[in-house]
Amino acid sequence: MDFGPYLFAASLEGAITAAVLALTAVGLSLVFGVMRVVNVAHGEFYMLGAVLAWWITSMIAGHPALGFWVAIVVAPLIVGALAMLCDRFILNKINYDPERTIVATIGLLYVIQQSTLMTFGPEARPVEAPFNERIALPWLEPTNAGLQVIWPTGLSTTSYKLFVIAAAVTILLILWLVMTRTRIGLIMRATQLDQEMAQAHGIDVNKVYALVFGLGAALAALGAVLVVPIQQAYYLMGSDPLLLSFIVVIIGGLGSVLGTVVAAVLIGMTDGIVSVFFTPTLAKILATLLVAFVLIFKPNGLFGKRRE
Amino acid sequence: MLTINKIDVAYDQVQVLFELSLSVSRGEILCLLGRNGAGKTTTLKSIMGLLPLRAGRIEFDGEPLNELAAHLVPTKGIAYVPQGRRLFSELSVQQNMEIGLMTSGAGKETKDYALSLFPRLQERLKQRAETLSGGEQQMLAMARAICTKPEVILLDEPTEGLQPSMTSLIRDVIVQMKQQNVAVILVEQHVDAVLSIADRVTFIEHGTNADTVQAAQLQENPSLIQQYLGV
Ligand SMILES: Nc1ncnc2c1ncn2[C@@H]1O[C@H](COP(=O)(O)OP(=O)(O)OP(=O)(O)O)[C@@H](O)[C@H]1O
Ligand SMILES: [Mg+2]
Repeated sequence: MDFGPYLFAASLEGAITAAVLALTAVGLSLVFGVMRVVNVAHGEFYMLGAVLAWWITSMIAGHPALGFWVAIVVAPLIVGALAMLCDRFILNKINYDPERTIVATIGLLYVIQQSTLMTFGPEARPVEAPFNERIALPWLEPTNAGLQVIWPTGLSTTSYKLFVIAAAVTILLILWLVMTRTRIGLIMRATQLDQEMAQAHGIDVNKVYALVFGLGAALAALGAVLVVPIQQAYYLMGSDPLLLSFIVVIIGGLGSVLGTVVAAVLIGMTDGIVSVFFTPTLAKILATLLVAFVLIFKPNGLFGKRRE
Repeated sequence: MLTINKIDVAYDQVQVLFELSLSVSRGEILCLLGRNGAGKTTTLKSIMGLLPLRAGRIEFDGEPLNELAAHLVPTKGIAYVPQGRRLFSELSVQQNMEIGLMTSGAGKETKDYALSLFPRLQERLKQRAETLSGGEQQMLAMARAICTKPEVILLDEPTEGLQPSMTSLIRDVIVQMKQQNVAVILVEQHVDAVLSIADRVTFIEHGTNADTVQAAQLQENPSLIQQYLGV
């Protein structure tokens, strides 16, 4: 394959990474934005989403697609509910104190990870995609007669990969509509802006926090269910998404959901492309360097506000 | 009637209010005066349930407010216009008012009424609160509170940093609320700005209520102002 088509294929891989990362990181960003909680266990909610997706599909007989569709609804719901319990019985009990929540969520990370290991074992588990047709992709080649459409051998993707991108975009759009157009979105934003004044207007901040923590975890789980037909599920898979999500949230500007999405596309595409051309390790090194540069030149992130 | 009965309030370990008591009736304007740091803002926050009481009671029509979770206090008809306005800065004028409406489940008439008091907000419904001028922000803070259809309104220095014409608009609205039988607690630094509309004045000193006098009495005999505020 020539360089052009090869780069196109790599970008497509990058777009998948970006799509899943955007979902995961937006979850982390919402939790930080509204609750001021740095959730170190966020990657474990992602991992749990993936492992539960495998477990659910393995329990459901019949067409493999059926298991997947059940999993994509049920796994995020279970993870979200679990996160709400963690909020009520851990974070709420320590009053969302910034330092103690970091320590508590580190503890939570290991509890979730080891419980998953003990329950489901250490093996990496595949999940079958609900559909997976190969789709050949066209490429525009400049010739003497102008641009010509060609179909390079080997330049292809699958219908499932395109579905992942479309699904992530749709979910993020829905989330944006909820945040900007609905009553519950208004309540979440008011709580984020001034939780004391929110209380003084009848908003039950504890309920909002539980909801946001559940939603954040469910978004990570959703990203994981989408990815699990492409990468296998196993109990240590949470660390990369956690690292990348933190990078994305910092570059995007703490608490800015739009910034998080933009940064996720930037980092996801870079990660995907560099991983295809070089190695995944180099991709992580570059992403980390990028954070360092952003922190030097724009300490509040690309879309961050100066905080007092 | 709202009564505050010998409340003790502390921030962490530092006690700020000591056996503070006061009361206000429907259709009455009670003015709280006191030096910086006397505990006026702390008193209002305590009424809203935003600070826990160490001792004492706060009752509204016999119902103990201090036993409620903070978010339930405003649903009992207590509205709060805080010092420094504290609008939801990134939300629009309209959205700030909607949050007020949600508190009481009030409808469009309440919002229209609030806008009729502050017509300048009508032209700026889509504008973000943080981009309003200082005077407009104060109008919005009051409009947001009025949207909760309050029976008691707590106002913390609503004329701080405003020019005279704006001050008199705010004052007119406060008087109108009194006429609609709302109980008003008004915290002020500028005695001249409020003495004409207040019914009673309670002086707060070192975290407790000192003298309470009729406002008319104070106008005739300003020596108490000298004593408590040093002006
Ligand atoms: N969040 C807080 N933490 C600790 N101490 C506080 C806090 N808020 C207020 N205080 C202290 O409580 C005391 C009373 O403060 P408060 O804000 O009630 O005074 P105030 O009468 O409203 O003053 P001002 O006229 O300046 O607004 C002050 O000594 C202040 O330092
Ligand atoms: Mg004050």
